[in-house]
Amino acid sequence: MSHPAIEIVGLAKRYGTGDAAVDALKGVDMIVQPGEVVGLIGPSGSGKSTLLKCLGAVIEPTAGRMALAGETIYDHGWKVADLRALRRDRIGFVFQAPYLIPFLDVTDNVAVLPMLAGVPNGRARDRAREMLTALDVGHRARAQVQQLSGGEQQRVAIARALVNQPPIILADEPTAPLDSERALTVIRILNEMAQRFGTAIIVVTHDEKIIPTFRRIYHIRDGRTYEEAGEARAA
Amino acid sequence: MINLAGRDILHGWGRFLFTGVGLGLLIGVTLSMAGIYRGMVDDAKVLLGNVGADLWVVQRDTLGPYAEPSNVRDDAYRALLGVRGVADAGNVTYLTMQIQHEGRDVRVMLVGFEPGHPGEPGSLVAGRPITRSHYEAIADERTGLRIDQRVRIRRHEYTVVGLTRRAVSSGGDPMVFVPLQDAQEVQFLKDNDALLNERARTAANPAFNRPGVPGLLEAVQASQASSRTVNVVMLRLAPHADEAVVAREIRRWKHLEAYTRADMDEILVAKLIATSAKQIFMFLVILAVVSAAIVAFIIYTMTLAKQREIAVLKLIGARNRSIAGMILQQALGLGVIGFVVGRTAAALWAPVFPKYVLLLPGDAVVGAALVMAICALASVVAIRAALRIDPATAIGG
Ligand SMILES: Nc1ncnc2c1ncn2[C@@H]1O[C@H](COP(=O)(O)OP(=O)(O)O)[C@@H](O)[C@H]1O
Ligand SMILES: [Mg+2]
Repeated sequence: MSHPAIEIVGLAKRYGTGDAAVDALKGVDMIVQPGEVVGLIGPSGSGKSTLLKCLGAVIEPTAGRMALAGETIYDHGWKVADLRALRRDRIGFVFQAPYLIPFLDVTDNVAVLPMLAGVPNGRARDRAREMLTALDVGHRARAQVQQLSGGEQQRVAIARALVNQPPIILADEPTAPLDSERALTVIRILNEMAQRFGTAIIVVTHDEKIIPTFRRIYHIRDGRTYEEAGEARAA
Repeated sequence: MINLAGRDILHGWGRFLFTGVGLGLLIGVTLSMAGIYRGMVDDAKVLLGNVGADLWVVQRDTLGPYAEPSNVRDDAYRALLGVRGVADAGNVTYLTMQIQHEGRDVRVMLVGFEPGHPGEPGSLVAGRPITRSHYEAIADERTGLRIDQRVRIRRHEYTVVGLTRRAVSSGGDPMVFVPLQDAQEVQFLKDNDALLNERARTAANPAFNRPGVPGLLEAVQASQASSRTVNVVMLRLAPHADEAVVAREIRRWKHLEAYTRADMDEILVAKLIATSAKQIFMFLVILAVVSAAIVAFIIYTMTLAKQREIAVLKLIGARNRSIAGMILQQALGLGVIGFVVGRTAAALWAPVFPKYVLLLPGDAVVGAALVMAICALASVVAIRAALRIDPATAIGG
């Protein structure tokens, strides 16, 4: 029996204590299968970023359970010793802005990830170039990041998220700075990559243009999730 | 793994280089100050080593002749020659004065010595030793004087017959060597007006101007005009004489102070140069603090400008250690640029200094280590700031 890529049960997160406490997540349930791209939609302050941060192992939830590919990583406490390695090897991040590192060229922006995992420079760069080619920016591999257009930068950022072939990718409003054509292209690319590498992808958005592209959508409101079959499924 | 620090430096090399050069000039100043101190110590060694003396005999209870004034009667050398172990003695006078040369004022130390005896200038770089008993001079090349030039010193003109190198006083003034009697005349003889005054006063004194005693007035006037003292008597000892024993003997019987070469070294370096050394040390401390502040500021600014990148690096799995290492390397990089620029600058501008600047390799090594330590220390603030950056901030709010 194959496990879901992501399984979240009753996840809660409280910021602060006492009177100042904020319950950002009150009970989040979510299941994402390998190769699936799901949307996470909700108004501002509903807890979207908090959920990504919990799943991305940069903040600690206060209750609930999270599992990646059947392995429990959190169950009322972290179940993995090295969160840094967890992030590096098993989670890819795509941010609102590309957040590329300006002092590295395009190849090294991607290659730095396998390098951090101890892959020798030469092989890390080979893998980076392969991934850049897969994302149609292979011809920009030697460029400086400032020379790229916004759309190209976002592709490089996606290449960076994918290069270690993590089972999941967390994308926080990845299309926010892009026009609708480019936004749709980014979503298409994410879908292709999910297919190709079997990656489970969660895309946080409130971008009206791309919402129809998701087969499955989680709505989050007031710290709770509600699942909805997306419009793409009907089509 | 790629060198993140190096890439970052190359990316913003302009600012980095300018900071490094600025720091380098500060380090250059620091090295020069150390070099000036070393130069002073070395000048002192040359001053003592060049005259071929084993003992310096000076006025009792003084640290003469360089650190304090000292007067010794100029016939004391005869008694000193009688002390067991003394092979040779030379009277020497020192006087700091201004001379005119090619329309410029040059500050020199006039040295009176007896040719062929201790106190004579060591090796000459040009010309010959003094052979005539009057009005010949040996000048240090720093005076700007050249062979065969004539130079006026008070009432007489002297011909420069020889040149020395690095014969300077402990204050850095170049020396001009002249025969002892000429120097005594310059040093203790008044100028023409004073002399005329003095003569008139003596002549007006009935005790000296007696009609019945011919020649008395002239004799008195001559004795007033010429000096009977010197500043130091330098002794050369017999091959197997023990300088400590001879010095003790002189102190005991001759009512004079006698210093060995080691004593003089101690007086010059520990007493005379000590104030300069303290001053230079203060400058070094201030420069170190300023350098540290500059490095700390620039590294901190560079780190703050990279907050987002650092958060992303941490999020994707960079170790805190790697981030700290990157910042430390940048600080050390600044130090390396600064040191190279500083050492080069110090070497380039050393000849322009009026004082002798001696840049010792050992000082450079210590300097480099200090610069690196200061840079490492200065990066602490930036490293702490970087370690506090929360990887969660890479994911938007
Ligand atoms: N670090 C924090 N400390 C305290 N409260 C926070 C913090 N981060 C977010 N919150 C609160 O948690 C709630 C959810 O925030 P967030 O997850 O950023 O929502 P979204 O990303 O959907 O806009 C909001 O009420 C927000 O004010
Ligand atoms: Mg948000």
